[in-house]
Amino acid sequence: MTMLGDNPAATPKLAPAPVASVIDLQVHFRSKAGVVHAVDGVSFDIADGETLGLVGETGCGKSVTARSFLRLVPMPPGIQAGGSILFRPHRGCEACFGNGCDVCHQSGRAPDVCGDCAGSGCDACAGTGHLTVDLLEVAEQDLRNIRGNRIAMIFQDPGKALNPAMSIRDQLAEVFYAHRSAELLAAAGLDGGGDGPVGTLMRRKAGLRSSRLEDVLLTLPSLRARRNRLRVAADNRIAEALAETQIPNPRKVMDRYPHELSGGMRQRVMIAQALACDPDLLIADEPTTALDVTVQARILELIRELQQRHRTSVLYISHDLSLVRRVCDRVAVMYAGRIVEVAPAAEIFNEPSHPYTRGLLAAIPAASHERGRLVAIAGTVPELIDPPPACRFAGRCPFEAEACQLHDPDPEAIGVGHEVACFIHHPPPDSTAARPSFDRQVR
Amino acid sequence: MQIRDYILRRLMVLPLLIVGVSIIVFALTRIGGSPIGIYLSHEMSQEDVAQLEERFHLNDPVPVQYFYWASGVLTGDLGWSGVAAAPVTEVFLPKLAATMELAVTSAIVAVALGVALGTFAGARRNRFPDHLTRVFSISGAAMPLFWFAILLLIVFWVYLGWFPIGRSDPEMWARIDHPTNLYTLDSLLAGDFGAFRDAVWHLILPAVTLGYGATAIIARMMRSSLVEELQEDYVDAARAKGLPERLVLRRHARRNALIPTVTVIGLSFGFLLQGSVVAEIIFQWPGLGRWMADSVLRGDQATIMAYVLFTSVLFLVVNLAVDVMYAYLDRRVVLGE
Amino acid sequence: MVDMPMTRTGPVDSALRVRLRRARELTASLLRNPTTVAGLVFIVLLLGMAIFAPLLTEPNTPDAYQMPRDWGAIAVPPGSPGHFLGTTNVGGDVLYGIIWGARTSLRLSVIVVSATVAIGVTVGSIAGFRGGRVDEVLMRIVDVFLSIPELIFALAIAAVLGPSFRNIILALAVVFWVKYARIMRAQIIHVKENEYVDAARMIGDSPWRIYLKDVLPNSITPVIVQATLDMGNIVLVGATLSFIGLSEAGIAEWGVLVSEGQAGISAGRWWSSTFPGMMVFLWALGFNLFGDGLRDILDPRTETAR
Repeated sequence: MTMLGDNPAATPKLAPAPVASVIDLQVHFRSKAGVVHAVDGVSFDIADGETLGLVGETGCGKSVTARSFLRLVPMPPGIQAGGSILFRPHRGCEACFGNGCDVCHQSGRAPDVCGDCAGSGCDACAGTGHLTVDLLEVAEQDLRNIRGNRIAMIFQDPGKALNPAMSIRDQLAEVFYAHRSAELLAAAGLDGGGDGPVGTLMRRKAGLRSSRLEDVLLTLPSLRARRNRLRVAADNRIAEALAETQIPNPRKVMDRYPHELSGGMRQRVMIAQALACDPDLLIADEPTTALDVTVQARILELIRELQQRHRTSVLYISHDLSLVRRVCDRVAVMYAGRIVEVAPAAEIFNEPSHPYTRGLLAAIPAASHERGRLVAIAGTVPELIDPPPACRFAGRCPFEAEACQLHDPDPEAIGVGHEVACFIHHPPPDSTAARPSFDRQVR
Repeated sequence: MQIRDYILRRLMVLPLLIVGVSIIVFALTRIGGSPIGIYLSHEMSQEDVAQLEERFHLNDPVPVQYFYWASGVLTGDLGWSGVAAAPVTEVFLPKLAATMELAVTSAIVAVALGVALGTFAGARRNRFPDHLTRVFSISGAAMPLFWFAILLLIVFWVYLGWFPIGRSDPEMWARIDHPTNLYTLDSLLAGDFGAFRDAVWHLILPAVTLGYGATAIIARMMRSSLVEELQEDYVDAARAKGLPERLVLRRHARRNALIPTVTVIGLSFGFLLQGSVVAEIIFQWPGLGRWMADSVLRGDQATIMAYVLFTSVLFLVVNLAVDVMYAYLDRRVVLGE
Repeated sequence: MVDMPMTRTGPVDSALRVRLRRARELTASLLRNPTTVAGLVFIVLLLGMAIFAPLLTEPNTPDAYQMPRDWGAIAVPPGSPGHFLGTTNVGGDVLYGIIWGARTSLRLSVIVVSATVAIGVTVGSIAGFRGGRVDEVLMRIVDVFLSIPELIFALAIAAVLGPSFRNIILALAVVFWVKYARIMRAQIIHVKENEYVDAARMIGDSPWRIYLKDVLPNSITPVIVQATLDMGNIVLVGATLSFIGLSEAGIAEWGVLVSEGQAGISAGRWWSSTFPGMMVFLWALGFNLFGDGLRDILDPRTETAR
């Protein structure tokens, strides 16, 4: 890929810009009943190095949003109805070799420079000077370079997300072969192979491009030694990656199969796989939902630790608000395909401004609640087929008013870094309709 | 270890099933008329017949007769085939070789084509190639082999004249030695490429006919199991790693989809076995199937019984092997969840 | 996987309304699948041919199931006057054979399928309900029967009984009942473990009533699916047996016709084998397509044999 690779000039100092920006994302699904608006105009930014939580109940569209980053939503029945996801890849700062300096704003990671303007700012990068790509538009080949390499994803159930018939080693090796084949060849001492048939064969093998015939050739004694050196190099990298996630006995674990490991171990393997190539953005889709509570805490800690060490940005998807509080810098709350509130983590909990967020917080069982009473939000999530132009939460909102049934609010700022989509906080376009208020509870 | 128990259990049941089958076969000989019918040959004299009646205790109660018949079978006495004018055991092996040559060729064709077709269709679910494959698969299951064979015969032998019938050209057959009784192998061993080509040319039509039904079932199973695998999370996870789609298909989805397909491959073996009877009749292939068909028409009980016994045992053993292999491959998948 | 937004559910309906709606839904989804509809069309046409045979062609005397012989029109090709599909080597009208062959196939499949279902369901029910020794013994017998490949088994039985149409029916019945025993037993065991049977027993229903009211209706769907598939496959196997020569010569049966037409093939007389053979194919295809569609909507997860 031409974009991520040639950057000969010295790294200019650029103003920081979000590593990812979701702009008015719309993903719909064709179903027998109609077109379902699963994600209907979602926008948020992920700053470089931050952990953003995306919270909501089942069916609100958070998973679809997450998968859209890597274009993993199956496109029939899915429809890419609009919007863009901008990604600004970073790499280790060349000026300070990742230690932190002025150029990279002490983060150790500097953005790739926009090819069109060499950092001075232009239309392609919206003036930021950062190399910017729209993940929804980028070519197949480039997308594959990004997947697993610059953006990685860990899935909810590691038991299902690991191939049951492949050893841990083989699955992790794939990531290295796909994205770090040159490094592997170098580590194996095979990079001087030249353009002769042997050199080409080894390069193809390292890049997962060898045919079955070529694989058979590699079992011949003279070539076998080289193939084994390649494998050893890969094994070393794999062991390193596994050790980083605090898996005991990485060399032994490598030989195992997923079903031989516990849930917590499997998730560590997934995390190791995701962080293997030091990605800029890690998308974690409910990584602890399928785990025991005791294991959950440890995995959360691990993610936090690794995130700090690698300075990766994280998009953390969950339905559990209390969990998200411990891990995230900022939190975005989603409901019925829209973002209803975004704020720094502490503020979401101390000053929830959207009625839905309040409802979610109230529903968390706490010591302060009366014994025997559980609070729930009345009603169910609406059908998202051709939604009417009203607030999605209308019909369940305890503070609903006339304006809520006529217009759908967009998120607007109500404080530093705090946005809410509710007419309680900002006036509707049509000022004649009655506005809701926290003082008027109707249900 | 669950697997070992499973294998042991199946292995222990196997002899019981074989005995059960032998009882049925024995019962059939009784229904068929004279109890010594399977041993009689036209060369025998009155004394020989009396001796036979002694040896097999035909004047004793039925269970005793069963015992002597069964021990006869175990020591290799399967009776006299009127059709072949020889003891069954003598003629059995060369005919078996002929049928095996045909069946194995058909099986290889069926597996290769079926897996490829199923993968092709499964990766393009609900699009044109998938629909086409579904029509092919269903027609394969409903296809009367005798009709399909006759159609191919009419088109390719009568009208186009591209392919011959029978197993070989008599001249070329006579030219070479037959150590293995497998025409293809023997011709290669003898270095006679003309004979090899002759062997292959004669194989094509019956193998295609026989393989058609098996290809259809395998393709169908492969397609549906591939579709199922493609919906699993690990496939998305593989894509998320940045692997190109063809590798995701090949290394992840297809490899796992092959596991349930293995069971169907075992099933289609039974299909091939039964189909060989008809195929050998129509294409005049000198194998077990045609021998059986002739025996059925001419009341050659010894052959019929031997054939039923043999095919059942083979069927049981192959099914057991397939089930064991599936259990071995599948435990990684099953125990994992 | 991807979370799909939930849809609203309606209020609770009366039991009868629910059952009617379910029946209507089932029919609708059946008709929605084009291959299933195609199968149904084939079946209707073939059954129509069989039932209205006496009206479609002049029945042969004295036995309509015997192929007529017209010595004046031996082996004439299709399109000849009076013989739309040609004649056989003894002057039998191929079209007559097609139509009355359908009737023969109908007789064969209905008799065999009825018998096998009756026997199989009975044996399977006994095994499932009684359990223990009875179950073990019966299932061993079933396993032994299943160890012999179907066609070969039927071939052997028909061979020792002697070539006749009746013996083919008998042979097929002996071979094909086992599948139903297995299905029924599995269903009963599955249903037995279900709560509503325990509930009925607690109320004090007699075992017979429990069987008829609760167990049977819920166990019957895979049997129906298998019976539909077997309607097709019985004719297929039966025609194969006739082709090999275990039926009676000269009757209006598709397999016999194909076999008798074989001799003329090398001389270019393709029609007397091709058309009857095609009918066997269409019959099996129709029931297979429809049966598959039925299986997909009735119990998508259960494995039934071919």
